[in-house]
Formats: sequence, C-alpha cells, structure tokens
Amino acid sequence: MSVQPVTELLVRWRQGDLEALQALVPLVYNELHDLAHRFLQRERSDHTLRSTALVHEAYLRLVHRGPIDTQNRAHFVAIAARLMRQILVDYSRHHRAAKRGADCTIVLEEAFVLPKSKSADVIALDDALTGLARIDEQQSRIVELRFFGGLTTEETAQVLGISPATVKRDWSVAKAWLSRQMKRG
Amino acid sequence: MVVQTDEARVAVEHPSRWEKIKEIVGTALERDPAQRASYLDEACAQNPTLRTEIESLISAYDQPEDDLSQSPLASPLLISAAPLQSIGPYRLLKILGEGGMGQVWLAEQTSPVRRQVALKLIRSGMLHSIALQRFQSERQSLAIMDHPCIAKVFDAGAAPGGQPYFVMEYVEGVPITQYCDQKKLPLPDRLRLFIQVCEAVQHAHRKAIIHRDLKPANILVVEIDGKPRPRIIDFGIAKAAVPSEPDATLFTQAGVLLGTPGYMSPEQIDPTVRDVDTRTDVYSLGVILYELLTGSLPFNTQQLKKQPLDKLLRILREEDPPSPSTKVDADGDKTIESADLRGLQPAQLVTLLRGDLDWVTMKALERDRDRRYGSPSELAAEIERYLQNRPVLARPASASYRLRKYVRRHGVAVAVASGGLALLIAFAVMQGVQLRRITRERDRANRITEFMTSMFKVADPNEARGNSITAREILDKSSKEIETGLAKDPQLQAQLMGTMGQVYASMGLFPQGQAMLERAVQTGRRIGGPDDPDALRAMSYLSFLLLRQGRYADAEKLFKEAIPGQERVFGANDAITLNTRRYLASVLEFEGKYTEADSVMTKVLADDRRALGTENAETLRAMNVMANILDDEKRVPEAEKLYRQTLEIQTRTLGPDAPETLTSASNLAGALQELGRLDEAEKLQRETLTARTHVLGPDHPDTLAVKANLANTLDSASRFAEAEAIYHEVIDTQTHVLGADNPDTLVTAGNLGSTLQRDGKLAEAEKLQRSVLEAKRRVLGPDHPETIKTLASLAATLFIEGKDTEARKIYSDRIEGIRKQPGQPGLGGAYYDFACGAALAGHRDEAFELVRRAIETGYLDSENTQSDRDLQSLHSDPRFAALVVEMKQRSSTSSK
Repeated sequence: MSVQPVTELLVRWRQGDLEALQALVPLVYNELHDLAHRFLQRERSDHTLRSTALVHEAYLRLVHRGPIDTQNRAHFVAIAARLMRQILVDYSRHHRAAKRGADCTIVLEEAFVLPKSKSADVIALDDALTGLARIDEQQSRIVELRFFGGLTTEETAQVLGISPATVKRDWSVAKAWLSRQMKRG
Repeated sequence: MVVQTDEARVAVEHPSRWEKIKEIVGTALERDPAQRASYLDEACAQNPTLRTEIESLISAYDQPEDDLSQSPLASPLLISAAPLQSIGPYRLLKILGEGGMGQVWLAEQTSPVRRQVALKLIRSGMLHSIALQRFQSERQSLAIMDHPCIAKVFDAGAAPGGQPYFVMEYVEGVPITQYCDQKKLPLPDRLRLFIQVCEAVQHAHRKAIIHRDLKPANILVVEIDGKPRPRIIDFGIAKAAVPSEPDATLFTQAGVLLGTPGYMSPEQIDPTVRDVDTRTDVYSLGVILYELLTGSLPFNTQQLKKQPLDKLLRILREEDPPSPSTKVDADGDKTIESADLRGLQPAQLVTLLRGDLDWVTMKALERDRDRRYGSPSELAAEIERYLQNRPVLARPASASYRLRKYVRRHGVAVAVASGGLALLIAFAVMQGVQLRRITRERDRANRITEFMTSMFKVADPNEARGNSITAREILDKSSKEIETGLAKDPQLQAQLMGTMGQVYASMGLFPQGQAMLERAVQTGRRIGGPDDPDALRAMSYLSFLLLRQGRYADAEKLFKEAIPGQERVFGANDAITLNTRRYLASVLEFEGKYTEADSVMTKVLADDRRALGTENAETLRAMNVMANILDDEKRVPEAEKLYRQTLEIQTRTLGPDAPETLTSASNLAGALQELGRLDEAEKLQRETLTARTHVLGPDHPDTLAVKANLANTLDSASRFAEAEAIYHEVIDTQTHVLGADNPDTLVTAGNLGSTLQRDGKLAEAEKLQRSVLEAKRRVLGPDHPETIKTLASLAATLFIEGKDTEARKIYSDRIEGIRKQPGQPGLGGAYYDFACGAALAGHRDEAFELVRRAIETGYLDSENTQSDRDLQSLHSDPRFAALVVEMKQRSSTSSK
C-alpha cells in the first residue's frame, strides 16, 4: 500500500522531523501556485480569488488518497496559508507592475471580513500583517491561518497550541488593528 | 508603506502593553456598546493615551461600511443589505426556499407576459461572469427543450447588487420522496413515477443537457387529473452554477461544498476528475431510487457531515454502500416506519428489495461509471422489466468466480476465510497462556503489565489532549517502545514482538505483522539458538500469517521448519505443537497435497485423542479436518462416517446451533451428496442454512457456503433452475464479502459453470468457465486440482458445443504437459477427463477408447466412474461395465 508522499511527510513533520518540512513546502507550494495562477489568469477584470477554496482544493489533490487525519489537515493548511499569502502577494506585485490599476482583490466572506472594506488589496493586507507581526507574531499568524487558510477557531488553536478563546480575542483585535492600518496606509 | 502613529510605535516597543491592549479591546468588544464606556473608564483609569488607542481600535472595528465601488460580482455582503423588491420585470412576492446555492422566490413577471414564475437568486461569490456567459449560451438549448416533466427556464440575468438570477417555471409541487411518503405509495407506484423521471432526464440528455444536481428537492411532483407527474427543476442551472473545468474548485469562498454530497456522483467529487457525463445523472437517479425504495440514503450523510470534509468525500468516493435490502434489514426502528410508508411489513420490504431491485439499484450506483447504466432510459427499461416480472439484466454479470467445495474445507477454512480473526485470536490466546506459564518470575510479569498499560495509556483522553488516537498509532508507538525500551531484555522483547506481530496481523496489517514476527524469531534465536521457545512460537505465528495470506508454499515450508524444534522443546503432545501440526495438515490440503495431508493429520488426530481426549474441542476440529482430507482423497464413505461421529459429539456437547456443529453438518451433507444420497443432503443443508441465516445473517460467508453447497446438491438432482438461482445469489454476495480473488471464492464459480453446462446453457457456461479458469490460474496456479477441474469443465463445454478443435486441444495439451513431467502425475485423470468430455459430446467410441487409455495410465477409480454423471450416456453400452470391472481388478491387484 503506497502512501501519498505528502501525507507521509506531514506525519513525519508532526513527529518532529524538520527535514520532512523542508521536503513538504515545495510540494505544497507547487500545487498551490498552479491552482492560484490558473485561477488568476482566467479571470478578466475581477480577480475574485478564493484563497481558502484553493487551499481546500490543494489539500484534496495532494492528500486525498492517503489516510485521513484531521491533525494532518490542520498542519497542511498552516503551511498552505503561509504559501498562499506569498503567492498572492507575488502575483499582485508582478501584476501591479505590469498593468496599472488591475489589482488583485480578495473577496472577503462574512466571517473574515475586515470591518470597513469588503475587499482588500492583497499587498496592503500583506504589509499590514507584516506590521502586526512586528508587534505580535502569534497574532499575525492567527490572521494568516484564518484568512488565507480558512482554518476554524478550533483548528487554529490546535495548530498554534493555544486556547480557542485566545484565538477569538486575538482575531477580533487583529481585525480592528488591520482595518485601522489599511485605512491609513 | 504603512504609516504608523506615535501611539502605535509605542505599542511596538512594549509587548506587555500590547497584551493589555488586546485584553481590554477584546473584552470591550464583547460588551454591549452602551456598557463599553463605563468599562473603559475602569480599565483605562488614569491612562488617557491607552484609552485613546483602545477607542481608536474599537471604532475601526465598529464603523459602518463605506461605499462600494467594486465590480458587480464581488460583494457577498450585499445580499444581507436592504431587501429587494423587484428585479427587472419580476416582482418578488415571497421566498419559497433557501439552499446552498441561494434563495428561490415566487415572483410575478409583469412583462412581456403576466405570470407567476420562480426566481432563483444565486448567492454571490459563487458565480462569475464567465459562468453567466456559459449559461446564456445554453439558454438556446434550454429553450427548445420542451418536455412535460421538465420545468422550463425562461430567463437569466444579474440583480442590481450583482447576484445572478434565473427565472423558471413555477412548479407547485412536493419533492418526490415527500410525495411518495405522504401518499404512502407502494413500491410499484413509486417505481412508475421514477420511470417517468428517468424518461424526462433522458429527454434532456438527448439535447446534451446534463442536470448534475438531481435530488428530490429538484424533482417535484404535481397532480394532474389526479395522477402524479414529476417536474424536474433547475435543469441547466447546476451546470452554470457549478463550474466544471478541471481547474475549478469544488468549493465556494467560504469553503462550502458546491453540490449536494449525498447525491453527487463519485466522479463529481474527485478533484482530479471532474468531467461529468450522462452517467453522472444516472448515479444521482440511483440515489433517488434508493431513497424511494428504502427511505434512506445509501450513505448516512448525517453521520458523515460530522466528519472532516476530506474524509466525507473520500468515503463517498471509495466505499460501497449497503444494498437496499441490507440497509433496510439492518435499520430496525427506522425500517418499521419506512415499510409502513410503503404499505408493507418490515420483513416484506426486505424480501421485495432483495434480488432484482437490489441489483438494479446497485448498478446505478456503481462507483465506476463504466459499470453503471449508460443512460437513464436503460435504468427505466430495467425497472419496467422488473414490474413485468421479467428478468433484469443487472444480474451479477461480472461476478463470475465460483466456489465449489468451499464447505469441504470448512474445518479450518471457515476459520481462515471468515473467522480467521477469531482463530488468530484463539491461537494468540493459547500462545499467550504459554507465555504466562513461562514467565513465572514476578519481575517479568510486572514489566509486561507495565508495558501493556503504557501501551494503552495513550488512549487516555487526558494524555491525548482530546485528539483521537487510532489503534494503529498505539501499535506503532508501542512497537517503537519495544525496540528501544526493552533492548536490555531481549527475551521479553522477543515475546512482546511476537504478540505485537499478531496484533498487527489481526488488523490486517500483514507486512508490519510479518516484520515484527521475523524480528521476534531473529531475536529469539539470538538468545536461545535455533530451538529458542519464543522463536519457535513466533515461527508458528509467522507461518499462520502466511497461511492467512494464501501463501501456502511458504507457510508449508515454515511450519515444517518449526515442528521438529517444537517437538523437541515443547513435546509432541503439547498444545502448541499439536496446533502447528494441525495447521500443516491444512496447508497441505489447501495445496492439494492430499496424501501427505492425510498422513500428517492421521498422526495428529491420534495424538489429539490421546493427549486431549476424544471430546475435546481441538480434537473435534481435527476430526473435521481429517474428514475433509479423506473426502478430498475420495474416500467418501470413511469421510461420511467421521463427519457423523464429529457431528454427534458436537451436537451433544456444544449444541445443535453452535458454529462447529453446523460446520460438521454442512460437511456431512456434502459427503452424502457425493454418495448420491441427495434427499438427505438437501434436508441437512436446508436445516443448516436456516440455522446459519438466523445466527449469522444471510450474507455471512459461512451461510453462503452452505447455500453454495445446497445449490450443488440441487444440481446433482438435476434441479438446475433452482440451483442456478441460488448460485447467482451467493456469487453476488461473496464477491462483495470475500473478494473476487480469494482462493475460497474462486472455487464457487466452477460449479455454476458446470451447472449451466448440464442445463444446456452452453454459451453462458463457456464464458463463465473461461474467466474462472483465468483467475484460478492466476491465484491458485495452473497445476492446482481446482484449476485442472475448471480446465476440464471448459473443455467439456466446448466439446458439447461442437467446438471440437479447441476442446481437443485443451485435453491433449494437458496430456502432453503431464507426459513431459517426471512420474507423469495425474495422467490417468487427464485421459479420464478427456473421456468425460467425449461422452458428453456424444462421441461414444472415442470416449470408450479414452477410458481404456485412462485405465492403462493409472486411473482406477471405479466408484467415481460408475457414479459420474458425465459418463451417463455410456452406461447402456456393455463396454462400460467391462471397463469398470477391469478397473476394479487392476486396483485390487495393485499395491496402494
């Protein structure tokens, strides 16, 4: 019985094997990159990008034949969220340079909505997040996992090893802070 | 660049201050806005800068939204904004329903005509401009689709807020499942309604429109002139709404699955395959049929919804649902209700569903679309056939592996094939007893207990921090511990590895089990040399493992290696040794080495009787195995005697319904059948079948085994139609339960082939026998007695059909092949088979000639010759009697 390489790597990583993580990242990155770009390129003017949808998708493609493990999924999404953010930002920067005004916007679902705007300029969000990370690394990670990865409160808590209450609170405060930042910036 | 105020910069430098800010803001946001001020008074007392910071954050969170100036399709929030009253010429009246895709409104069209329509507003974020374009292009074909059972789609567009909408014919009806339940429609009426649905879907398929989202909610029933008629809605919308290019996702932004899990076909769910065709609709129709018949969905989606999404999808994609009758049979309370809604008693419902309706439904639900009905009209035709009491085509066409003497092997084979786990555990427990006996020192006993406890401590919820740990993880963890923690006590290590190996094996994880056991053997030998007790024990487990996997030759070799050591170390009459020797006999039997099996088993039986007693359970099991072997050797009267003996003791000591008793009964029946005492055999088999069905259920391999043998008996009585019907039932279930390539499974097919042949259904017989032969060659090997039997049967069939050339070639090839081997084993038998073929084909002279040759080359089984049906046509000829006499003479003068 052959196990999906990604699944195996995930398991090993969870058991503390950092080399597995090294091997994992490019695999996940490639898949996400593929998905994201196909999506982004297809659209015409509205780059309605479904970040969490793509992460779900990537997960299914890479892991869907292996043994199912919710812990695995949460960890997968944790990596994917970080990569997704990177991919989107890269795309935006590149795109912005090439076509003026054609920005990549992320459509925000109600759960993830930043107060004050329905869509967020990816680059502005990325900058704001980086700023937040300087103040509170964990908090910015929470935003990344929830926003780019689509993890629930419980899953986020699990991945970071903190309580769901903390996640909830930090998430609300982060939203407030980010809105304020992005409005100013 | 982000501009930061002084305040924020201050925050950067003081992480503890940020913590405090988070705490206060968090709490404040949870409070009522009215109460926030007073809270902040308290929390930020004497710290105006802090308060300013906090207030600015809170207001950033709270303030009402800006103007929106994005593209039309990018605003999910708009739906919850001010309620719409009309869209274009459609005036919204009231909501009819709400679903995953959006809302459905009752609307009034004002121009160009006045009428009531249904307007479906799609939740934005789901659809984008390209999909809308696609829909527009399909409107043409949708418009020309005119079928009384399909709701028309009139229009499509975008609402002011940007959400797409579709305008459809307003159907005032009830979902089909609901309608049938409300009216308590009996099965035939439900089926007739369903046929109408299939025909409607077929109509759309002819226009190249696939629905993609068929479910009861989309199939409404209206009554026209008192008669129910289905109306299918949402045709064409699903396609537009659910993108189907390979690189589109299955999910919406919010991670909601597009489509309805219970009704989606496996190919729709698989992210690597997403093209759909007409058979996708067939699948959904299958689900609906299932629901109409049983009242449940094939997969328990309520339960499944609690699973993580990927697991849910995997289950839907990769597992087989229970057949309708099985589902209903198993459901207890729910079934009483479901049956009542169909005007039936629960038992009646099960019976009605079993058979044709099961097959038809399951064929529509095949995971592999090539095996499904190709179109809704095929499905409808099948149901029509059922309603007219004609045979359906879905009868197990692919299930063509058959079991012949399944029952014969039962002494051990039952355990191996179906109760292997139980036996393995019994084996392990018994070995465990040995383990306990030897490890008398308190120290070691404690350490074992410690180890065992720690192994399971991981399952303690506190330890696991609320995560579920699988049995597998426990095992793996423990394996690691054995290797590292116990390195200092290699003997204990060896023992525990032996145990672990068995546990892995019992979970079906054979490679891990094998690895563990091999290590156990190695470790044991390292400590105590080749006769180390732990190593010897592990060797037994290991061989049993090989046996379980059907690797008979390897198992035989290993058993033979282990036995001398066990005899030396434990003694020939010790339970372990006896066990191992018994298994060796079984392996030899499975391999077809009957004579050797006989000699091993005879000794074992004698030892068992002496050491354990004549009524001991192990002894009885041994008697059964011995009888099986005798039977294999065609010493049937002796076998019958022994079976009877065993049966008598078991009935007395274990009870008439005990599994072992039933096994012996079944075996006895087989022997009676061979002796031609068919009425007795049939009676016994039917009794056994009843008992087993009652105790084990109708699908248990053991129940099927006696069923197969009953079919065999009926065949012997030339009651072919009855026999075939039963065979078909058994085949179907066994393929599901045991798997198509299980050695035991394979044997059954041969019998059906022979029955068909005798029944004169030659084409069917030939086809079946060919595929059985191929499989047996692959799984059992070309020289296994079972394979040879099928080969001979096929040849006979061909001969009877008049395909002389091919038939003769098979026979002569075989004969040639044997001639080349040293000792020419079975040459007489080969000629004999050839003779049978010739006789069946009507070539009598040739047949006689061949029988003579058979005799000359060693075939002397006069009993079989006389009773063999295949040679029936020769009986009237005086040459026949003469040959039989000659056989008898030669066999009595030759030394045996």
